[in-house]
Amino acid sequence: MDGEAHKGTVSWEDGTLAPVDHLRSERADSPTPGLVEGTEPGAGQKSAMFVHAQSFEDLTAEAEDEVRREAELDKSGECAEGLKVLVGEKTIEEQHNNDITSESRTKEEDVTGEAWRSHRKHVFVLSEAGKPIYTRYGTEEALSSTTGVMMALVSFVEAEKNIIRSIHADGCKVVFLSKSPLVLVGVSRTCQSDKELLRELQYIYYQIVSLLTLTQLNHIFQHKQNYDLRRLLAGSEYLTDNLLHRLDRDPGLLLSAVTCLPLASSARDMVSSGLQAAKSKNLVFSILLAGDRLVTLVRKKDQFLHHIDLHLVFNLVGSSSSFREGEGWTPICLPKFNTAGFFHAHISYLEPASELCLILVSTDREDFFNMSDCKRRFLERLSKRSAYQALKEALKCPSYSVAQVGIPELRHFLYKSKSSGLYTSPEFPEVYQSDKEQERLMGLYQDLHSSLHHPSRPLRSFYRCSETENLLAWVTSGFELYLCFSPLGTKALAVSAVNKLLKWIRKEEDRLFILSPLTY
Amino acid sequence: MTSRLSLPVTMSAMRVDAKVVMLGKESVGKTSLVERYVHHRFLVGPYQNTIGAAFVAKPIQVGEKVITLGIWDTAGSERYEAMSRIYYRGARAAIVCYDLTDSSSFQRARFWVKELQNCEEHCKIYLCGTKSDLIGGDRSLRQIDYHDTQDFADEIGALHFETSSKTGNNVDELFQRVAEDYNSTALQYMTAEETGVDLGQKKDSYFYSCCHNN
Ligand SMILES: Nc1nc2c(ncn2[C@@H]2O[C@H](COP(=O)(O)OP(=O)(O)OP(=O)(O)O)[C@@H](O)[C@H]2O)c(=O)[nH]1
Ligand SMILES: [Mg+2]
Repeated sequence: MDGEAHKGTVSWEDGTLAPVDHLRSERADSPTPGLVEGTEPGAGQKSAMFVHAQSFEDLTAEAEDEVRREAELDKSGECAEGLKVLVGEKTIEEQHNNDITSESRTKEEDVTGEAWRSHRKHVFVLSEAGKPIYTRYGTEEALSSTTGVMMALVSFVEAEKNIIRSIHADGCKVVFLSKSPLVLVGVSRTCQSDKELLRELQYIYYQIVSLLTLTQLNHIFQHKQNYDLRRLLAGSEYLTDNLLHRLDRDPGLLLSAVTCLPLASSARDMVSSGLQAAKSKNLVFSILLAGDRLVTLVRKKDQFLHHIDLHLVFNLVGSSSSFREGEGWTPICLPKFNTAGFFHAHISYLEPASELCLILVSTDREDFFNMSDCKRRFLERLSKRSAYQALKEALKCPSYSVAQVGIPELRHFLYKSKSSGLYTSPEFPEVYQSDKEQERLMGLYQDLHSSLHHPSRPLRSFYRCSETENLLAWVTSGFELYLCFSPLGTKALAVSAVNKLLKWIRKEEDRLFILSPLTY
Repeated sequence: MTSRLSLPVTMSAMRVDAKVVMLGKESVGKTSLVERYVHHRFLVGPYQNTIGAAFVAKPIQVGEKVITLGIWDTAGSERYEAMSRIYYRGARAAIVCYDLTDSSSFQRARFWVKELQNCEEHCKIYLCGTKSDLIGGDRSLRQIDYHDTQDFADEIGALHFETSSKTGNNVDELFQRVAEDYNSTALQYMTAEETGVDLGQKKDSYFYSCCHNN
């Protein structure tokens, strides 16, 4: 395993010195990694669809500050006792001074037993008064003693004017995210960094806000500090469960990006212009999805969607079969857009058995029939063009095989164009067919991602060999790339593959990306 | 639409005669009821809460006429309570559901009845006890007495049904009755006032009548 911080042993340099204008005008067929943001394969020709396309930073900026201010955990017996309950370990290691408290009292509060404890990642959401709101495993009631301990920890350290951020104890990490009026706690046995774990907790926080708005949350807890929020969240737990599942599996959430259905640009443009024409006064976003892939997104001028908000929409639509029939109409807060209010989403499948789902986001709660009419106009127009047929054809092969790229020993890759906020990735090859293997590969990508985005020591590239695969990660101002090779691959091969792959993506970018996003 | 492409049936502009709203505590079986009525099926598998609300238009034959019911299947979760007004505003019929095997769901039904009486006096109420197949198998499961409910229905001027979406028992009858009642009151209005009271035949007028007079 070796990593290179800002200096390449690999043959080319990161391209901040590249002749920007030259590249911009050329949109090179053989792009080199020295590309500048905006010229990389997959970069939109006009403006981007999303806010802050490279917003992993955006998402974690806050969290990062928090990590830096990391609190020294007081080593009182009270805290140590609390930790044991959480992680069930004998020794507790304080993160920074590695001071090991030697206490090893038996677990007095073994609430839920080994099976519960052995899950790889627990997530809890509590109110500031310590009421349980959500737990990934088990019931909130059964956890009340544990949540009490967590709250004790949180308030204990907060009282010391330190905000508790994370605790590490043999093989286990406990990460806290305080987002008034909620407190989120992650307990993980994975090797993810604090930053990654915080990012995931943020997603969960946004998921809850998207159901209620922050304004409503604040209002509720201002009036009644010990309100039981589960009342309002009843029936939404599976959305959070699913989001956590996605966080383990969906490269889009890792990369802060969205992937597109591969589609001939002529067909995509026709679909886009169909949505563009079906506009309405209060319509802000028209989104057409094929499963978890974006077909196109048309937006009101000057209004941008944040990829987190889009992932929340994906999660909502993907988690629920309740939109399959008829037309759904639901309030939804897009927290990265505005935490104060609800949008209203018209959600419907183009055909009951189809994967194509249309989401029309309006600002007006009374707009249902207007949205319904927009959909009708869109379908009418679509049916007169060949685009619908092309779209249905494209659905038959919603992905591509890595063999098409023609790079020996390459098994899989993730490529994100930073300026468009879109990524592309082939289907999983034979070796990664099982869920378990796919999650393992995602775990490897997550590790690479953590290394590239390390808060104090970010890397530009990273090569890693193991018995099962060799991995290369590469980040420039224009893109992020993660490659997975068979263990037969060599480092030289991996490095030379980057250029080839960029060239291939450039050739296919019309089909793999949305190059000309539209506004109404 | 005679297109070479098979596009969904919702192609023509929707025309809705009567707005019908499904109300009731979560998991009482509102979605299942609509599913049974509209698609003649009962879906087994894990229960999926409705998110927000779902709308479906269903034409129904009443005598010589075809009446299109615009059915709003709302989510029972309290989270959406603040939103509920937009769903029942201007509704001609409300099917207030409760689960025959769950007495707390009847409390919630009473809440909706009160709400409708206060805010939508022209909306006809249909009390619907769901999952009757369950008590058919085991009478001790019944928690809501038939006669008590009938008395309550009489008191508030509502109709009373017990249905099973699983077997389909009484489901068509319920919606048929809703459509017939709409049809006959529509006739009454027609003769009373020439123009009729917001019987929007056109989509637009319907829309404005039910959604724009706060
Ligand atoms: N045995 C039986 N089960 C039923 C019947 N109707 C509904 N159920 C079950 O009750 C559960 C809830 O049904 P839904 O129709 O989804 O309930 P809902 O009222 O729409 O719930 P919300 O959308 O959350 O408000 C499901 O598991 C159904 O299978 C019925 O007639 N008989
Ligand atoms: Mg439902």
